[in-house]
Amino acid sequence: MTAGNSAGGPLRPVTLLIAALGGEGGGVLTDWIVRAAMAEGFPVQSTSIPGVAQRTGATTYYIEILPVKTADLAGRTPVLALYPAPGNIDVMVASELLEAGRAMELGFVSPERTTLIASTHRIYSIAEKSAMADGIYDGARVRKAAPELAKRPVLFDFQALARNTGSVINAVLLGAIAGLDQLPISAAALEQAIRDTGIAVESNLAGFSAGAACVRGEAAAPAAPAEPERSWARRRLSVKELLGIVESAFPPEAHAVLQEGIRRLADYQGPRYARLYLERLGDVLAADREAGAAGSGFALTRETARHLALWMSYEDVIRVAELKSRRARFDRVRTEVAAKPDEPVQITEFLKPGVEEVAALLPPGLGRRLLAWADRKGLRDRLHLPLRIRSDTVLGFLRLWLLAHMKWWRRFSHRFAEEQALIERWRAALTAMAREDYELALEIAACAKLLKGYGETHRRGRGNFLRIFEARIAPALAGAREAGAAETLRQAREAALADPEGAALNALMPEPGTASGAGVEARAAAE
Amino acid sequence: MERSFAQEVAKLQLGAGEDFHGEGILAITKALLQSGVSYVGGYQGAPVSHLMDVMADARDVLDDMGIHFEACANEAAAAAMCAASINYPMRGAVVWKSTVGTNVASDALSNLASAGVKGGTLVILGEDYGEGASIIQERTHAFAMKSQMWLLDPRPHQPKIVELVEKGFELSEVSNTPVMVEFRIRACHMHGNFACKDNRRPLVSRKQVLENPDFDYDRICLPPATYAQEKHKIEHRYPAAVAFIRENGLNEVFDGGLKDVGIILQGGLYNSVLRALEQLGLADSFGNARIPIYVLNVTYPLVPDELEAFCADKRAVLVVEEGQPDYLEQAINAVLRRAEIGTTVVGKDVLPMAGEYVADVLLGGLAKFVEGSLPTGLDVAGITAEPDRVAALKARAAELLGVPIPKRPPGFCTGCPERPVFSAIRLVEKEIGKVHIAADIGCHTFSTLPPFNLGNSVLGYGLGLASAAAVGPAMDKRVISIMGDGGLWHNGLASGVAGAVFNQTDSVLIIMNNGYTSATGQQFIPSTGKNFRMEPTGMTIRRALEGIGVKWLKTVTTYKVGEMVRTLKDAMTTEEPGLKVIIAESECQLAKQRRLKPWVRKQLKAGKRVVRTRFGVDDEVCTGDHSCIRLSGCPSLTIKPNPDPLRTDPIAHVDQSCVGCGLCGAVADAAVLCPSFYKAEIVQNPTRFDLFLDGWRRRVIGALQGAA
Repeated sequence: MTAGNSAGGPLRPVTLLIAALGGEGGGVLTDWIVRAAMAEGFPVQSTSIPGVAQRTGATTYYIEILPVKTADLAGRTPVLALYPAPGNIDVMVASELLEAGRAMELGFVSPERTTLIASTHRIYSIAEKSAMADGIYDGARVRKAAPELAKRPVLFDFQALARNTGSVINAVLLGAIAGLDQLPISAAALEQAIRDTGIAVESNLAGFSAGAACVRGEAAAPAAPAEPERSWARRRLSVKELLGIVESAFPPEAHAVLQEGIRRLADYQGPRYARLYLERLGDVLAADREAGAAGSGFALTRETARHLALWMSYEDVIRVAELKSRRARFDRVRTEVAAKPDEPVQITEFLKPGVEEVAALLPPGLGRRLLAWADRKGLRDRLHLPLRIRSDTVLGFLRLWLLAHMKWWRRFSHRFAEEQALIERWRAALTAMAREDYELALEIAACAKLLKGYGETHRRGRGNFLRIFEARIAPALAGAREAGAAETLRQAREAALADPEGAALNALMPEPGTASGAGVEARAAAE
Repeated sequence: MERSFAQEVAKLQLGAGEDFHGEGILAITKALLQSGVSYVGGYQGAPVSHLMDVMADARDVLDDMGIHFEACANEAAAAAMCAASINYPMRGAVVWKSTVGTNVASDALSNLASAGVKGGTLVILGEDYGEGASIIQERTHAFAMKSQMWLLDPRPHQPKIVELVEKGFELSEVSNTPVMVEFRIRACHMHGNFACKDNRRPLVSRKQVLENPDFDYDRICLPPATYAQEKHKIEHRYPAAVAFIRENGLNEVFDGGLKDVGIILQGGLYNSVLRALEQLGLADSFGNARIPIYVLNVTYPLVPDELEAFCADKRAVLVVEEGQPDYLEQAINAVLRRAEIGTTVVGKDVLPMAGEYVADVLLGGLAKFVEGSLPTGLDVAGITAEPDRVAALKARAAELLGVPIPKRPPGFCTGCPERPVFSAIRLVEKEIGKVHIAADIGCHTFSTLPPFNLGNSVLGYGLGLASAAAVGPAMDKRVISIMGDGGLWHNGLASGVAGAVFNQTDSVLIIMNNGYTSATGQQFIPSTGKNFRMEPTGMTIRRALEGIGVKWLKTVTTYKVGEMVRTLKDAMTTEEPGLKVIIAESECQLAKQRRLKPWVRKQLKAGKRVVRTRFGVDDEVCTGDHSCIRLSGCPSLTIKPNPDPLRTDPIAHVDQSCVGCGLCGAVADAAVLCPSFYKAEIVQNPTRFDLFLDGWRRRVIGALQGAA
């Protein structure tokens, strides 16, 4: 029954290590196990390194249980360790996927001994969260390593199970421990420990049963939460003809992304605008075909279609007002904040359009003049119109609704003209390059990734895009293409997304006067 | 201390023969009561805060026995409290985190150790070395040696720990010397059991008061008495201690069959060494090792004749001593050299000089020692099989994972009131450029970690402002110093504020006023407004600063990021000379939630109207740049895979743990980030008017929205 004591070997304690995050109840889980071991008369010892903060720090709890009852030891006292020893853990409990990976890294999961009980849900670390693009650790690495490193890997979304049973993860994990029967303690004693503690007994017992049933294979896996639908999925859009063109003129590999793009743009600015999207992609597809890229699944067409749809549906005040005023959005807010059907939900929006957002909506000439004035006065990033809109009230909602209904005007606006011009430049570049250097064309397409966000984020992204375009793409188009140009461009794009201050990009593509040390020299000179 | 420790207090009252079950630090607390202490004091800090918390909650028990308990202003005050034991036969104990607390206490400790004590005096130290440590890595050992105080390092076995605490008082009295007892973090949190004795009433106490104060010039720390005291240390106290340790068998010898080798270890490391020996096949689970072991439950002073006897028949001994420098190894070498014993002393050559002795470090070191010392009667071939297996396992795991697992540095809690201050500093820096930030000790030290990365130096508790003194004049912009309310009352008021006002320092200080020493578990401090007996104190930070003479003094609610930014810019640019102080005020969110949650539950149950606030991010509006996260780092502000099939970057997302502090909205507003954030106020138990209004609004809005 107990993993640590195969028949004939010397008597040794069963070891259990719990890796949790602060606030997940790892301490309570430990208490339950210790309590149960004591109730059944087994020598037990636990210790911990509690994490410092509530939610972020990783914490570990370590328990040793001698699988022979004190009464049968004839007065002998075991010496139990305070430190988990790598390669010597019988049960490794990880309350989150990366913590399971960390346990592996530290040698606490071994094929000879370890039953690994790990929840597969993710709580992202600060490095993953604060990346400027996609910094998420590839959890598949941990899942793939588990079967080789653990004697018995039990990976499951215990967090979802806890949520579905109205319980908390530590109770579910206790159930899983009981269900796997790797400790000398009986499942009944573990369950009794929950009762004896006397806190949230009902919900903890529900979680316990679910966890135990789950690892015994008695219960079905909880259904993954449904994907939220796009708010325009509910709108009736006259795009049938366009979708027909996609079917007939574009390769199947690109259908999904094109269909999504068409719906998005028809929603954004009407079917005519969606047609422009298809026309723009026609040239790209032709270039793709010429480059003989059918083998690569028309990567250039697909990636361009993806970025183009996002770029053409750039976020301006009108779009934000539209997205925020939709019924589907109101429904989503209610779900997200877990409001009951009859509970009123008051929603406050934080809008703060600045000079750029206002100029974006003016006619081109006027918009340019406003921006030029703001630049002269140094007000471009200083002048804002802070709006706190209560969109659940009639008057507040009306403000959003009216803004959203200014959509027809967008075609005549300054920003529309600017974006379309830049789109054409980008599209011409990647189409032209497709025939010469397909990899480079793909990288040019990917540079559109830099254009996102609002306010300063958008300004920074657009600045980086233009800077990279002038320094890396324009020369290549003019015929000065070097070997490895695609790689050089990729590096520049990644550098632009490495840090918001632009340090990595500056290091890669120094601008005149920004070389390191220049500041100090300048100051020294001034003195 | 908004929490209740009633269960723990009950355990302190167990009587003779009853079985205690609980954490190590609580066992130590019980041992103090069994030893007849007259007073207990200290300053909170992991891993010994629990002792202070439980004592504060046990005031009825203490009052009944006449024991004086004090939550001291700092460790120096706690150490000074021990003065009671200099003149009178009063047993007492003080507690703090070492080595930082010991540093603060040093002045009083040196004087105490010089004067010597009549009543047994114990200094309980929570050692914070290695994994999970939050402080500089140093050893307490040096303090014991330089001031000549005895240092106990008990084997982590609760009955032994309790016995050594009790014996420690006797040792202190017999040798007129204060005794330090160090407990590592895992030992403090170790759950175990021991058979209790009855609590002992103190000889002298609030209930057994003294009538005549003692005057004895020999106990005053002033020459010429100090010369006599120094001599007394060597001529009387030291030999008395060595004799007591030997006669009472405080150190332990565990025999083993391989008699020509041995292990000498610090008591605290006994269990770890035993486990490593077991892994090497050289011990069983009951402490029966094949190699003889000499356990130093007292690491200072050493007992030379015990050492000589242990080593006399051995070719080689291994000294297992955590941390540096290798005081014990050097001392043992000296003892053996003087006794002309030729035993080879192995130690830091097979074990690392620095760092914690975790399981596989000891395993590797012990294997090397056995392999090199060739004990007679043992085949050492294959002795490294186990460490090799462990190393291979780790290497394979690293290979399979391919990329290291991202670290999880500690950060501010969900809704922490200190986070907005650092968001504000980041925003101010955007405008005026990088600023030198003199950080301090407390939760706010987390500002030095991602995502803020703010703080250029950390010099000690309450020393933020003092540490800016020489940097300030050398900088083209004013320096910002940080200080917590805990640090302010600990010493910062004098060492920082008074010093800066006195020297007319042109500098900016932000004081985080969250009401408690939050990092150590929300203990009360003068500005909390009440003490642990719940008596109102009427002390405020503002009045203290005004009293000292701070002229430029602003109080800002931390969550108002915009106002904080303006105030900070004002402080950085104003023409006014001297110290500019901003009191950044908002209660510790942990303490607040602990109080609020049960109250809200009660209100809801009673059918009362309660508005719950949550923040959220609009999936379709967020473009996945994560600036908001870089300016906040709130655990509840996280990311999720982008539901948009055309986008690949994860989007921001506020999870269920959100407490609705409002920072996301305030930052998005102050930094002009993006319009994705919304605030939702959910009206629970709505009134009929609420429902009427909501129904009307929903109908009108619904009509405008149409089908989509």
